[in-house]
Amino acid sequence: MKKLLAATLGILSAVGGFVDIGDLVAAGQAGARFGMAHSWVLLLGVIAICAYAEMAGRIAAVTGRAVFDLVRERLGARMALVNLIASYVVTVITLAAELGGVALALQLASGVPYLLWVPVAGAAVWLVLWRVRFPVMERLFGLAGLTLVVFAVALFWLPTDWAALGRGAVSIDDGGQGWGAYWFVAVALFASTVSPYEVFFFSSGGVEERWSAADLADARFSVLVGFPVGGFLALSLIATATVVLRPAGLTVSDLDDVAHPVVLAFGGVGLAIAALAFFAVTFGAALETGLSAAYAAAQYFGWQWGKRVSPREAARFHTVLLVSVLLGVLLLLTRIDPVTLTEYMLIISAVALPLTYLPILVVANDRTYLGDRVNGRWLNVLGAVLLLVIVAAAIAAIPVAIGTRMGQ
Amino acid sequence: MRIQVSHDLLDRQLVDVDGRLIGKVDDVEFALDAHGTPYLRTLLTGPGALGLRVGGRIGRMLVLTAERFVSDRPMVPLRIPYGFVARIDSAVWLRIRAEDLPTSPVELWLRRHLIGRIPGAGRAGG
Repeated sequence: MKKLLAATLGILSAVGGFVDIGDLVAAGQAGARFGMAHSWVLLLGVIAICAYAEMAGRIAAVTGRAVFDLVRERLGARMALVNLIASYVVTVITLAAELGGVALALQLASGVPYLLWVPVAGAAVWLVLWRVRFPVMERLFGLAGLTLVVFAVALFWLPTDWAALGRGAVSIDDGGQGWGAYWFVAVALFASTVSPYEVFFFSSGGVEERWSAADLADARFSVLVGFPVGGFLALSLIATATVVLRPAGLTVSDLDDVAHPVVLAFGGVGLAIAALAFFAVTFGAALETGLSAAYAAAQYFGWQWGKRVSPREAARFHTVLLVSVLLGVLLLLTRIDPVTLTEYMLIISAVALPLTYLPILVVANDRTYLGDRVNGRWLNVLGAVLLLVIVAAAIAAIPVAIGTRMGQ
Repeated sequence: MRIQVSHDLLDRQLVDVDGRLIGKVDDVEFALDAHGTPYLRTLLTGPGALGLRVGGRIGRMLVLTAERFVSDRPMVPLRIPYGFVARIDSAVWLRIRAEDLPTSPVELWLRRHLIGRIPGAGRAGG
């Protein structure tokens, strides 16, 4: 049990990181339009985030340095500042989208329009960041997010043709929607799986939890349980959309559509559980993105950061946190559609991916940091191949987005 | 100890004797000793030093933003004599306490005018 609780940082990093509003939308759309044909992208993304989160976690445990420390040390002051600005913009847009997701989940549960819930969601997120202890936050929202398993359960309840589902997962097919749209969804899904703020959050969380070299096994366990669990949840979202939405010719433009298969399987109870799950994952993701934005800034400038010290002693860190949540709320109050916001955010974040992952790979091989705990040969081969995939996604993102007019 | 300034020192985290984070090594200063041999005299940290090293428009904007929080301009960086460095690994560890150094003016301003005024600011979350 204690060991499983040790995995909650990985679970929250994954649940908040890629099973969030972006993934609810991207996975739902992928399933509704292309069936299971994007399963390989999800698998590749989970392998990539596992490999790089393991490196970042190991560096954090051995040296006490989180990812943005490494970005600054390896990219230098100027390039790292460019990365900080890009990452900050992407992370705050994501935070806004997550707050929108919290508000949409509350609308789904209450019927009250989401715009009224936006300031409430912002205030609640800030309050949790201000008062709640890190381990409590991590366990509460990591575990509550697991209610999303209701989508996997629904698959067994519905008349699922498992053989067809399996065949769909191994054949790559544009489903009559055009290859441009197929690759657009592939890039968005991959970017949502390896979002940089997941490693910012995971490594900083390790420092907050005071990992040392003795906790390396726990850190690895957390990665290898948390991120695949997130991948499984995302896959079940694609699968339910494939089974229910695709044959009916429905598309996903709102959270109601994503919840539709569960409502079909379990009625009102299903809706309640789905709303709770959406609330938990988007709230968890809002906490994660808010903290990641502040972690990145504090680690770039070398400020005191974290929830272990009182806010007074980390005034700059807490100011960035507060300002980020406020910016997120203001962005939503312009009545921009949270789902559209998410799609743009995923494309911008794809472009910035290599700037975060290259420094991790470099430092994971640096003996002055890690001594004999540097990467083994196979992890380096895997890391290099995955970095090529990340670079390819970064290069392809903008042309594919423009060429298909955001996947139309 | 033999160190490579650009690789082992610049952009590293400065940590006090109790593990508190003080800033980054934003720049360094050399001086000449009696024999004319250059030696590493001071570590510089703060937006003033960082902005100069980053350079360009983006560096100037950084300094201008930080200067909004201080009354005496131009903003001077915090200077730490190299003799205060205890050891260098993934961070630069000092043998003094954060209290013995002046606190960053931006941190002080935000503490006094914003964060310190919110109830619960003195309590560590843990």
